[in-house]
Amino acid sequence: MKIKVQTKNGEFECDSEQGEILLYAALRHGLNLPYECATGTCGTCRARVRDGDINHQWVDAPGLSFVNQEKNELLLCRSTAKGDCTLRVPAKVSEDPHDKTRPGYRKGEIKAFRELTHDVVSFDVVIDAPMSFDAGQFAVLDAADVTGGRAYSMVNYAAAETLNFVVKRKPDGKFSDWLFDNDVVGMGVDVFGPLGKATFHAHEKKNILCIAGGSGIAGMVSIIARGCDESHFSEHKGHVFFGVRGARDVFFLDEFSSYVEAYPENLDVTVALSDEDVPADLKNRYPMIKFETGFVHAVTSEKMADKYDNILAYVAGPPPMVDGALRMLVLEARLHGTDIRYDKFG
Amino acid sequence: MSWKKVCESSQVLENSLQKFAIDGVDIIIANYGDGFRAFPPFCPHMEEPLVSSGMMMAGILTCSKHLWQWDLRSGEILGETEKELLFYDLKREGEDIIVNFELELSYDYGDDEEDAMDDDDFFNAD
Repeated sequence: MKIKVQTKNGEFECDSEQGEILLYAALRHGLNLPYECATGTCGTCRARVRDGDINHQWVDAPGLSFVNQEKNELLLCRSTAKGDCTLRVPAKVSEDPHDKTRPGYRKGEIKAFRELTHDVVSFDVVIDAPMSFDAGQFAVLDAADVTGGRAYSMVNYAAAETLNFVVKRKPDGKFSDWLFDNDVVGMGVDVFGPLGKATFHAHEKKNILCIAGGSGIAGMVSIIARGCDESHFSEHKGHVFFGVRGARDVFFLDEFSSYVEAYPENLDVTVALSDEDVPADLKNRYPMIKFETGFVHAVTSEKMADKYDNILAYVAGPPPMVDGALRMLVLEARLHGTDIRYDKFG
Repeated sequence: MSWKKVCESSQVLENSLQKFAIDGVDIIIANYGDGFRAFPPFCPHMEEPLVSSGMMMAGILTCSKHLWQWDLRSGEILGETEKELLFYDLKREGEDIIVNFELELSYDYGDDEEDAMDDDDFFNAD
């Protein structure tokens, strides 16, 4: 079926399969419509139906608070078309001429499932065709047993046939319940990606600051790994601040230790424990990692003072943590909006 | 013309903003150091309440939702910000901050009765 999209800079057209999410149909045809979470919470992909019939996938999506349903508005990431339709998007839209960087669908199979902590797991999704993606990007995973896709950042990067993810169990999280309560190895998931603009490229020649809470560290591992692989940290600084509740919540510290070992002059990794003092055995186990007590944005503020020269900051984590970090970066560090990268999920 | 006193300059500290009401309509008064600005209480992007999401630093207003920024000294948009802020005319008489309040300023979020999403000139609007 044909989807017409009227935008501030003209009309575009793309095809959509029966039952396909409208946002994904547009993105895979190279039409760069505005989006952030791609999964129903942020409200950024708001559009208005001018003509045609629409199915709404998730009638309670939090992002619907940003749309006026009486005016026939919808979230493109949570709607499908019943037939040809015409939509209006209140933004200027660009077209991506490069097939290779456009997001697309893959069939995936879950492999290498392992527990990282009591409530965080890591797993691989082996996909049927390689995906080329940047450090810091995410993909939407859709399992047959769970309604609606979920967005997770890749821990790895580059052109890969295996995507590595980290997921934290959420109270009442249907997808994480499915992951934790079933033997999911060998199960199929549909993958749409890559998505997200909080990406890292060594050629930008910036010092890097990563502030992450919990499983938000996934994309940061990808950024730091790429920075190491491309010798970015032989000439530029890298500062990672990783916030968790307590000692039992830490993970990826072996990986971070090896990165710091490779660039001890320029790369530092600090773990902030919000709920407890730092146990001595944790410090002893990871001598390359620094440990502090406090909220991660407060620890970052204290340790980063006067180190904001030529900084590009990446932020990921639970919404209150992201908000605290953004305030700190704008009000204290005085970074410009263009030097802060994050994808809004809250 | 209808100039109305909103507050006194000492009520809004340097590099901060506060919400006030004139005739039952909320407006923000921001102190950018060298002066003051008056504007509607919501971000023009997605209607975030600026009294909580607005951050003031060195004369620059930042909305924490998507980091849209405006330089309040010049009134210009910064970075990847896509919409201008609408300002009320403002003057100071002694300690008093006085705003020309004739018509409530508001942004098009696509939910007004006659909004740009339905207009024929949709494609030419900002």
